[in-house]
Amino acid sequence: MVNVKFLNPFVDAATEVLKAEVDLDVTRGNLSLQKTALTADDITVLLTLVGQVQGVVLYSMSEATALKIIALMMGQDFQEFDNLAQSGIAEMGNVITGRATVKLESVGYHSNISTPTVILGNGVKISTLDFARIVVPLQTGAGDIIVHLALRETQNGNDSSEAINLTVDVPPIK
Amino acid sequence: MNVKYLLPFVEAAAEVLKAEAQLDVNRGQLSMDKSTYYSEDLTVIISLIGDIVGTVLYSMDSSTAMNISSAILGEKLTELSNLAQSGIAELSNVITGRASVKLSRSGYQSNISPPTLLIGSGGIISTLDLPRLIVPMSGTFGALTVHLALRENLQRSGLSTSQMAVPNAPKLGDAS
Repeated sequence: MVNVKFLNPFVDAATEVLKAEVDLDVTRGNLSLQKTALTADDITVLLTLVGQVQGVVLYSMSEATALKIIALMMGQDFQEFDNLAQSGIAEMGNVITGRATVKLESVGYHSNISTPTVILGNGVKISTLDFARIVVPLQTGAGDIIVHLALRETQNGNDSSEAINLTVDVPPIK
Repeated sequence: MNVKYLLPFVEAAAEVLKAEAQLDVNRGQLSMDKSTYYSEDLTVIISLIGDIVGTVLYSMDSSTAMNISSAILGEKLTELSNLAQSGIAELSNVITGRASVKLSRSGYQSNISPPTLLIGSGGIISTLDLPRLIVPMSGTFGALTVHLALRENLQRSGLSTSQMAVPNAPKLGDAS
């Protein structure tokens, strides 16, 4: 069960972080709900949350967008998506997610975040299995950042391994 | 990357494959890799959060995935369907969960994230500054490679990322 109340902390956090770190204004696009595996954009930052809110957060963007954001973040031009750029984009995902968890904490949901993982390459598919994803595009001056939230509330905030109970089949939605 | 995190995963993988799928596994030569990882057909990504932080990848080709999920489900699967994917994700989840129980017995308490699946070869997964310890495992089912990009959480008593201030934007051109 996807919970929309987890959405705003992420949108607010992304807006604040992009404004503070790279001076970009964010407009929120239309929300959608996806259940099928997503075909990865050029660059996807994956973080997971464990705690009273648990699941996966993906930040997906084109290489051009990532390079523009990195250029603004580091104060120098980037031509290719090298290790430094990867690290910068991962850190941005980390800071946004971290800030969102502080906001979640203030409404009573404690959770911890994982280290970021960066997935590169067009065409591979990313599946969050039975976790449906709320998809929210964030339009910025550097291009769109698509945020995917596959989060749910857990009964027991401490033991995630007990709380996970995968259903076996994911029906595709049209 | 500390090798002491290795054994719990190797043991857990062998135990879980034996118990759930009646499959025997052999461990191959270990190696350490800092470069990016090019994905095989199916990769399961699970993170650890707690005294140990980082990412564990379970990587296999589609025939291995089908053999393993066929053995778990007790029926012959011929394509990498949602059911097969789900079986592999669940297997990885159980292995990681079991490994984290073993780690907690030796004093490292960690929680694990839900699994994420990466489907399709040729994608690149970067664990950034965390080097990966690569553990190849094989058996009659094919080859399963476990990548451990883990480290001890040094910030346990310090500030977590979420408590850090957001740095201000440098102006373009400041660097020159």
